[in-house]
Amino acid sequence: MSAPYVVETSGLTKRFGERVAVDNLDLRVPRGSAFGYLGPNGAGKTTLIRMLLGLTRATAGTMRLLGRPVPAERATALARVGAIVEEPRFHRYLSGRQNLVVIAAAREREAHGRVEGALERVGLAERADERVSTYSLGMRQRLGVARALLADPELLILDEPTNGLDPAGIHEFRNMIRGLVAEGRTVLLSSHLLDEVEKICDAVAIVDHGRVVMQGSLAELTVSRQTILIGSSDGVRAQALLAAHPAVRSAAPTPEGIRVTLRPGFPMTAADAAADINRFLVEARLAVHRVEPARASLEERFLEITSRLGVAA
Amino acid sequence: MSTVSLAFGPPESQAQFRRLVAAELLKLRRRRPLLLAAVVLIVAPMFVSVIGLAILHAANPAKYGPAGGVENLRGTLRLLTQIGAVAAVLVGVNAGGSDLAAGVFRELVVTGRSRLALFVARIPGGLALLLPFVAVAFAIAATASVALAGSGEAPGVGLLLEYAGWVGLVTTVGFALALGVSSLLDSRATSVGVLLAWQLAVAPLLLQTGKLDPVLLGAALKRLEPGAGSASTSLLTALLLIVAWTVVPLAAGAWRTQTRDA
Repeated sequence: MSAPYVVETSGLTKRFGERVAVDNLDLRVPRGSAFGYLGPNGAGKTTLIRMLLGLTRATAGTMRLLGRPVPAERATALARVGAIVEEPRFHRYLSGRQNLVVIAAAREREAHGRVEGALERVGLAERADERVSTYSLGMRQRLGVARALLADPELLILDEPTNGLDPAGIHEFRNMIRGLVAEGRTVLLSSHLLDEVEKICDAVAIVDHGRVVMQGSLAELTVSRQTILIGSSDGVRAQALLAAHPAVRSAAPTPEGIRVTLRPGFPMTAADAAADINRFLVEARLAVHRVEPARASLEERFLEITSRLGVAA
Repeated sequence: MSTVSLAFGPPESQAQFRRLVAAELLKLRRRRPLLLAAVVLIVAPMFVSVIGLAILHAANPAKYGPAGGVENLRGTLRLLTQIGAVAAVLVGVNAGGSDLAAGVFRELVVTGRSRLALFVARIPGGLALLLPFVAVAFAIAATASVALAGSGEAPGVGLLLEYAGWVGLVTTVGFALALGVSSLLDSRATSVGVLLAWQLAVAPLLLQTGKLDPVLLGAALKRLEPGAGSASTSLLTALLLIVAWTVVPLAAGAWRTQTRDA
């Protein structure tokens, strides 16, 4: 039976001398999702990927890949993992096809038979016999994806995969990722590009200073815990009433309704505060037709959560 | 799965290993400058040597003997092992260091294939490129030594086979040394520099002193050269030295390949 999580880490730590790149990391990537691993540059994203793939050793902690402990069962686990780590690298004097043949030779026998299909899938079949030195960065990115597909992967790990792609290429790439997820594969996409992650991924972990500071579905993460939207037939009066409520820090009209920011530290959960505000307005004989948590963009949530950018902001 | 079982185990394991070796050969034979260097350093000197000797003999038979014969074969093959050693260094360094230099080593590691298997496959892969050139060069020298022997003594089949084995051994050991060193070091340029300095300058100087013969690879290989006259090293010592000069660099390279961050 397949493990519910394709990646599980517990207390995973990587130190480079005094510097801690990955700090006691607990991460779970659910099977069959497009999972965004999101963090600013230097947050430890690539280091985590390198540890998962056996490119560098962990200082402490445990990892499971496709339900198998690594590095103990690394070979079996990696047989069904495709990956692009940082910029995909190739023997530049070999053709695209020859580069795939070289990697296929290190995989199971069936991998050789997947070369043509992988080239077709990434749109490189017609230029597969040209040397990689003639390829643009975008083409090399696509060839990197083709190489990852040789594993017929249950899990694809892609580190900053849209680097170097033009807008059309990014659009194609996005569709390809969704197509792979639709086939039942899991895609772990590491990126600092919030917009990309928001468009592609179902679930996200936000990492900063080597630690996961939040993880969950995109819907959960983008629900603000501090802001609610209120719709009323009399916006002006509602705004005046809201200013008097002790849980409200500010209330501002927006096209969607009145955006209410709750007072931090108020002794009530956001849900209870929303219910209390609703009762308060109704008791004041105001017709309320909407009370819901405001949705923040992933970028807003990211800025709110990550300490570094939070301080900078 | 161990590398031994990969190379000598069940048919599927052997087929897997053959695919790795074929991939290594593909990487090397598509590298045109390397092929050109192999032709220039291994095959061309044989042609030049044989043609030069033939011209000298034709121009002044009284002063210059026939271009063939045992003595000329010995001289030509010594030339082959000396200049061919440079080619062995180039092929060995490329086999050992090209994946790392291109950044492809990590792409191979993430396939889950054992790093040791990746390393071991470089040995037959590199030799599959190098030895055919050496065989062609040897064939030229051997053919000329017989066909152009004239009134001189032509080498017999036994001696030719001995020489073939010796040339193959010298080339293989040189290749293994280069492969090990380049897998150990991070830079191909450094590896080439260190190995050529050793092969072309340091080792010959040390050999001339004669004081370090018990530990020098050159002395051991000379001991095994067919018809090489007096020897300062015993046969057993020579064999042990050759094994050590082959195994130790390969073991060091294998260790580094297994332990380095990819």
